[in-house]
Amino acid sequence: MNGQYASLLIALPLLGAFFVPLIKGLGKKAIKTYVLIITAIQTGIAAWVFQQVYSTGKPIIVMAGGWRPPIGINLYIGHFAALFVLIVAIASFLMAVFNFKAIDVEPIDKYAMLFLLLMLGATGMIATGDIFNLFVFMEITSITAYALTAYNKTGEAAEASLKYMILGGIGSSFFLIGVALIYGATGTLNMAQIAQLAGNIDPTVAQVGLALIVFGLAVEAELFPLNAWAPDAYQAAPHPITAMFSAFVVKAGLYAMARILYLMSSVGTWHNVLKLLVVMATLTVVVAEFSALRQRNVKRMIAYSSISQVGLIALAFALGTQAGVDAGVFQMINHAIIKALLFLGVGYVAVQLGGADIENFHGLGRKMPVTAFGITVGAMAAVGIPLFNIFWSKLRIILATVEAGYTWAAFLVLAASVVEAVYYFRLIHAIWFEGEGERISESIPLVAIVVALVILVVAIGIYPNYLWSVSQKAGSDIFNVAQYIKNVPLMGVGA
Amino acid sequence: MSVPNISAFYFGAISLILIGLYAVLVKKNILKMLIGLSIMETGVNLLLISIGYISGKSAPILSEGIEPNQAVDPIPQALVLTAIVIGVATTAMTLSAAIVLYKHYGTLNVEEIRRLRG
Repeated sequence: MNGQYASLLIALPLLGAFFVPLIKGLGKKAIKTYVLIITAIQTGIAAWVFQQVYSTGKPIIVMAGGWRPPIGINLYIGHFAALFVLIVAIASFLMAVFNFKAIDVEPIDKYAMLFLLLMLGATGMIATGDIFNLFVFMEITSITAYALTAYNKTGEAAEASLKYMILGGIGSSFFLIGVALIYGATGTLNMAQIAQLAGNIDPTVAQVGLALIVFGLAVEAELFPLNAWAPDAYQAAPHPITAMFSAFVVKAGLYAMARILYLMSSVGTWHNVLKLLVVMATLTVVVAEFSALRQRNVKRMIAYSSISQVGLIALAFALGTQAGVDAGVFQMINHAIIKALLFLGVGYVAVQLGGADIENFHGLGRKMPVTAFGITVGAMAAVGIPLFNIFWSKLRIILATVEAGYTWAAFLVLAASVVEAVYYFRLIHAIWFEGEGERISESIPLVAIVVALVILVVAIGIYPNYLWSVSQKAGSDIFNVAQYIKNVPLMGVGA
Repeated sequence: MSVPNISAFYFGAISLILIGLYAVLVKKNILKMLIGLSIMETGVNLLLISIGYISGKSAPILSEGIEPNQAVDPIPQALVLTAIVIGVATTAMTLSAAIVLYKHYGTLNVEEIRRLRG
């Protein structure tokens, strides 16, 4: 089959979102089923693209309208994008299942539309090969994310959403200024051509432009000090949306940051930006872990834990070494699995027991044993205990950090891990050893998802090699810029 | 018609961005913060346009008597059109959120809107 069919990854959710009003009359259940079907098809296409890219070893370049880059906009689905588009689709599919239980507030049709557009935005951010197109997809992602944060219509939701919007607005303006500077210096918006010409840019302009872009994306990627919106939004958003935020929306921002960072690696002042990012990432980890310690709301606590793990990924990307990028990609995959599991479990508990406060988790081991088991495995894995998946990626990130000469950062991250262990074990203790309760029947599909994710966590924890080799391929897709330039069939204009 | 030196545009754009940023960071009223955000967006748009401007050239519209090499760079203009549309969407979203917020809290002062914290 022709690789150009990969453009369906963008087209399908977009068309799917536009057709939601047509089935609005059929009722709530029909809309939720419709979303489930669209995400299932998306997963199928993404799996086909993944198989295609990994078996041939060549990226799929989709040229919009048949125009060759840099005149036309191209999608670049290499090893990284193929992998993450698949993760986005799978996570959306699982959350589409969760929608049946978790979403009751009207208007469901608007929710379905925004849900599909959120998936589209993240997919587009990961797949695009044009820096302004990236901005457009980023805005699609963030505007739908603003709306979904406010979806529950409570005061808290509106407050969280407004915080997110103001920070997001500043971030996107910064990003656009950075794009303007880079466009002014190179005369192109195509990522491959920017990488080609990056060495010729005035180092000061490149440094300022890159720093502005990193700052702009730091809002989406939840890096300190621009992540104040994240815990609020995670807490106030509907439960499936929280899981999606954590599983892939933040990843799309991180990926965009890493991609643009490495595209500009031939710039002389590149290492200054890396140092800035290392400091931001380490602070993210430390501040988030200590904030998590004080939380009474479990959803908010896990949100902080998610932010700290994201800081770890950003640290890995900021090292500027191949080992760091590989470890970062590995951590991204593991984090997506763990956080989907945890937010699904916690969200399900909140739906059943009316809130995610820690009191509701007392005696959960008796009330909802399977969900409690899932949350426990997720918590232990997030701490980084051996036999679970995060252990391997954390280990590799810390080794890469020491290797790159940032011993202080590795030390701070390890110290923060101890804090993480404290609050997760407090949660596990509350689940199994406190309180009493009667058994509540658990929904079969959700239990199946929880068990499947738990098996995945343990399987990766015991046999990490396959996923590690996949991460290495995806990591070199980001790190090896020369190969990236070679893969995009640039027309010889303007260069 | 004489056009001022290009640095005047850069100066104006940067000032607009900084004025907007000041309003967002310092003002206590949410509506004023949102106005600041819009001012900032306008500044960014002006910056983008100025980057594509070439002194003495006409608008990039293909018409009689104007060759492609006599027009300014069209790409920044396309970018700005997109950015304006996105800006409108964001402004509409933020304002509607402000309305919901006012219904729930009865105030638009950010210091009083603090139910989520920690």
